Amino acid sequence: MEYAIETENLTKIYRDRAGKVVALDSANLRVPKGVLFGLFGPNGAGKTTLISILVGLQLPTRGTARVLGFDCVKQSLEIRKRVGLLPENYGFYEHMTAYENLEFLGRLDGIPWGELRRRIDEVLELVGLKEWANAKVKTFSRGMNQRLALAQALLKDPEVLILDEPTLGLDPQGSAMFRELMTRLVKEGRTILISTHLLHEVGFICSHAAFIRKGRIVAQGNLEELAKQYREARGYSYEVVVQERPEDLLRELRQLEGVVEVGLENNTIRVRASRDIMRELLGVTGRYQVRSLRERAPTWDELYQFYHGGGWGE
Amino acid sequence: MSEKVAVIVRKEVLENLRSLRYWGLIVLFVLLFVAISAAISAAMGSAFQGREVPAPERGRPATRGVAELRLVVQFVGSLSAAMSFVAPLLGIALGFSAIVAEREKGTIRLVLARPVYRDQVLNGKILAATILIAIAVFVSTALSLPISATLYGVTLTADDLSRLMLSLIPSILLALAYYALSLFISVLSDRSGRALLYCILAWIFLTFVLPIAASMIAYSVLGPPPAIALNRTSATGVEIGVTVTVVEELPPQLQDYYRKLGEITSSVLMISPNDRYFTLVNALFTRRSPQTTSYVDLGSIIATRWVDLAVLAAYVAVFTLLSYIFFVQRQEVR
Repeated sequence: MEYAIETENLTKIYRDRAGKVVALDSANLRVPKGVLFGLFGPNGAGKTTLISILVGLQLPTRGTARVLGFDCVKQSLEIRKRVGLLPENYGFYEHMTAYENLEFLGRLDGIPWGELRRRIDEVLELVGLKEWANAKVKTFSRGMNQRLALAQALLKDPEVLILDEPTLGLDPQGSAMFRELMTRLVKEGRTILISTHLLHEVGFICSHAAFIRKGRIVAQGNLEELAKQYREARGYSYEVVVQERPEDLLRELRQLEGVVEVGLENNTIRVRASRDIMRELLGVTGRYQVRSLRERAPTWDELYQFYHGGGWGE
Repeated sequence: MSEKVAVIVRKEVLENLRSLRYWGLIVLFVLLFVAISAAISAAMGSAFQGREVPAPERGRPATRGVAELRLVVQFVGSLSAAMSFVAPLLGIALGFSAIVAEREKGTIRLVLARPVYRDQVLNGKILAATILIAIAVFVSTALSLPISATLYGVTLTADDLSRLMLSLIPSILLALAYYALSLFISVLSDRSGRALLYCILAWIFLTFVLPIAASMIAYSVLGPPPAIALNRTSATGVEIGVTVTVVEELPPQLQDYYRKLGEITSSVLMISPNDRYFTLVNALFTRRSPQTTSYVDLGSIIATRWVDLAVLAAYVAVFTLLSYIFFVQRQEVR
């Protein structure tokens, strides 16, 4: 598989008066090309440090990182030509207008004047700020700032987008716009890495993810791969929707080998098993009036709790 | 100059030209220069006020008396006094927040995430500061000269004006010296307020503490003056505007003591950018001899005062270099 972003034993150690702080601990991240990838972890897990190293804002203490095949230490300029970054804790020049800020940053991107005007109009339109182009940034709300930050990341029409907590401050309408835009950009072939701890905002649009904890990548892959790990550790969950109260069915399900728990809520029976019992379930439910039977995939929130709340890699 | 540097220069210059802080400093200079001129003019009272200075006849070289030249020297003295106060503040105002404020606001993250080298960011800022300082020094001098000249009742010749224009070079160098120092502090600091505090402390030290320290060092090296009774009737008076004070009536031991005292003080003050600035401006308005009214030629000034220029340039070079080293090496963007 071809990777847009690849790190190997990436380590970053800060030294301050208090001593050593290991922000990244041999992190191995692999982001395939053309996917929407979520980097999930709590505050202080090392997400921002990892991103800073990827775009050359910081040097790693050890290890290597490559973006689009370019080395993050030796070829960071090539990376910054091709990567659009929305960093955390960014700021704009408040006495300049949105247009002037984008013009300045676009010129630093090396976009020629003629093309730059067109690009600024395009990205402002994309993020819904076109009518605010000539307003000074100091008059902007948090959400508008976040939209402008997204606009500046898109300015150079990048191959890879790296977004650090991109939905912070966005209202529900802004979040919906953001998700729709990300989905469209991935369809166009771009790779997007979204770092966040707000899974409910963006988790469900990601096809792949990595979980980072205390500077280490504790798990990564597509949703199926991650769900498999989850099931192997936490067990399998199934949902059986029935038409009437099925006392016999409940009794039969409890007797199946490997079943840990059977619960009934309205017309839905939830079965938790320590192994894959789909085949047996099909056999049993076939004898009853059952509306549907499905294996329940873990949600991103469950995966997050699993990888960060213990139970994995401890 | 690379395109990226030019983009940064353009943005920095336009941003500052729109700022109240920048124009406030220009207004401060004009007010200060005019106030000093008015104060000295009032103090001199009838000595110079309303004095008629004959205009040179067309086609003939201007001739002027020693008294009028003293007036010009006095005028330049008040100009350099105002400039020595405002130029460092201008340098500090432009430099103290140059990097630290961008770090605090997070704008540096957006800039450095682009295909631009860190040294290009500094190059852009330094070039922009040089342009802004040159504009501020030129505009403030141009605005305040006619007002102050009228207050003084002094008529400036083409030679005076050309020397005044030349004196803008040490003024710009003085402001740049403080800019470079402030930029270095800005690179090292993590808070704008703290950076400003350190810059002001450095300015207080170089402007007020160092001259006192230089005298104290000289006294501590030489000890108290020898106890010799002076013939008070033979003491020479010091006249305003005369740069050389004759102390021939002092006993030789005291002459020797004060000469050494002056030498030690001057040696310590070699590291003072303010002192180097004053020395350079004074040199530009020094007469060839006490009997003539023409100024010493530029070649002679450079030959004798190159050290002053070198010290000011060294301030700019050393602190700029340190800023480069720390800014380029420092991995501070978390």
